[in-house]
Amino acid sequence: MQDIAGVLVNSVISAALYATMAYGLAVIYGVMRIINLAHAGLLMLGAYVTLSLFTRFSLDPFVSLLVVGPLFFALGVALYRLVVRRLPQSGATPSMESLLLLFGVWLVLQNVAYLVWTGDTQSILTPYTLKSVPVLGVRVGVPSLFVFAGSVLSLAFLNLVLRATYLGRAIRAVTQNRDAALLAGVDADRISAIAFGLGTGFAGVAGGMLSSLYAFTPDFGRSFLLKAFCIIVLGGMESVTGVAGGALVLAFLENALGAWTALPTSFQDAVSFTLLFVALVVFPQGLPGLFGRLRTAHR
Amino acid sequence: MRRVPLALAAALAALTFAAPLFLERGTLNDVWNLAFAVILASAWNILGGFGGQVSLGYSAFLGIGAYTTVLLSLGGVHPFLSLPLGAALAALFSVVIGLPAFRLRGPYFTIATIGVGEAVRVSASSVSFTGGSSGLRMPAGSFDFTLNYEAMAALAALTVAAAALVRKSAFGRALAAIRQDIDAAEALGVNATRFKLEAHALSAAIVALAGSLYAINFQYIAPGSVFDFRLSLSIVLMPIVGGVGTVAGPVLGAVVFSTLQIKLLAIPALRDSYLFLYGALLILVMLYEPKGLVGLARRAAARLRRPALPPPEAARAG
Repeated sequence: MQDIAGVLVNSVISAALYATMAYGLAVIYGVMRIINLAHAGLLMLGAYVTLSLFTRFSLDPFVSLLVVGPLFFALGVALYRLVVRRLPQSGATPSMESLLLLFGVWLVLQNVAYLVWTGDTQSILTPYTLKSVPVLGVRVGVPSLFVFAGSVLSLAFLNLVLRATYLGRAIRAVTQNRDAALLAGVDADRISAIAFGLGTGFAGVAGGMLSSLYAFTPDFGRSFLLKAFCIIVLGGMESVTGVAGGALVLAFLENALGAWTALPTSFQDAVSFTLLFVALVVFPQGLPGLFGRLRTAHR
Repeated sequence: MRRVPLALAAALAALTFAAPLFLERGTLNDVWNLAFAVILASAWNILGGFGGQVSLGYSAFLGIGAYTTVLLSLGGVHPFLSLPLGAALAALFSVVIGLPAFRLRGPYFTIATIGVGEAVRVSASSVSFTGGSSGLRMPAGSFDFTLNYEAMAALAALTVAAAALVRKSAFGRALAAIRQDIDAAEALGVNATRFKLEAHALSAAIVALAGSLYAINFQYIAPGSVFDFRLSLSIVLMPIVGGVGTVAGPVLGAVVFSTLQIKLLAIPALRDSYLFLYGALLILVMLYEPKGLVGLARRAAARLRRPALPPPEAARAG
């Protein structure tokens, strides 16, 4: 039995990481109406690149995020220019072709990783991996705290880009109304490339942070992809604040079930997959849509 | 003209059934694998190809068939008697999943099915009656390769025949209408949900039958093997690479995949990474020929028949 403070502290910490994972998907979905299944492969690749930087150059996993982020941004732009752009533009709903194409990209990434790093389970062990400190009376692992800080910083960075730069405003404009943005002179192709780069960069950073919390193989990333989906479905696919809310709901449910029920830990993942299914079916517009419906029902 | 492929298919089927008389065990194993692949690809194609509902959760049905057979055999039932029950359970499960999931369209349906498949796999590894992560073994003395081979070959022939029949029938036309424009189909009075559920149940039952035969042949199953995501993956990739929505496409895809698999698994460095090629194939198909190998063959045939026609690139440029 764990007390409520423990569950809440742990929920907030996982929620920050989950939100970082989910934003990468949400940016790409918003601008291009593409569901990026390759996100799972990019999370995995982020973990492996961080591992390689750690073993080759003994770069601290959290310092290497400064390398991984820009590197994956460039990878995302390249992926967009070489592959994704060749697809016909998705309409209001994402096309099946784009989903399957990126599924192919995921498979390629995964199996490149098998070739390069083999299928052995890997993990990153730093001097602080097993240390923990008290936060609000709850013992929290030092890596978790760093992950929390890294997530908050990346989210703040994204928020800054989206609010304060021309590019960010253009991204938001295309997300809200593509045709109107085009009429206003936004270069959709360039914005799409940058959005794909940002989404990929976030996947790389999230993957890098996951590598200091979990052991991983090239198969890594699938369960986190599903969690990220679950979050953007809960949060509504386009709303930015919704993503944070969705991340909190999922993280709280997972931590609460882990702490207060006798379910085995392996079952925890099944909970989020089931939640994803239920969320997709019950409120296709996400939690904001649900609240909107409740409001209209009360009127 | 239409008689020729039919006669060819019959001759091929007859040859496959007679194969144990003149082929050695190793080759027969390869044919068994091919038949297994043909069944999975053709069954998936009924919903995914004809109806356009791409599901990435089919390992769940395979696992249900396999576990029904192993659990009943351990309870003393003859393995082959367990087949209908496995198929019925899988069909039932497909309806339970389909009722809510078919409210979703296109990619959202696909993602929901990944969620279902993973939830089933994780749950199966956490409960005790599946043998957990250590799996279950069939009772001794339940193994007869030739019988299993013939059953698998028969199921493959029946599945391809069923797919051909569905495609020609009113049911197949309703599925095609749903694939092309679900709103228009419903406006014309097609009960889309009912047809999707029926196609889902039919393909789930067939996949479960193949799963039962799989369990009998390998004598050992575990949640990690029969509910594996990679299995769901191959089930989807074969028809898409071969030619989605056609009868010949999934068979062609299955032939390509099982041949590649045998060749690639023989190279130690590629043991884990054979899916690399499939991913690359999927990207190429999506970018250049959405109708897969069948589409490629059709284009080549059209080119041969009318050599005077300018290539599509030249037409676009002019």
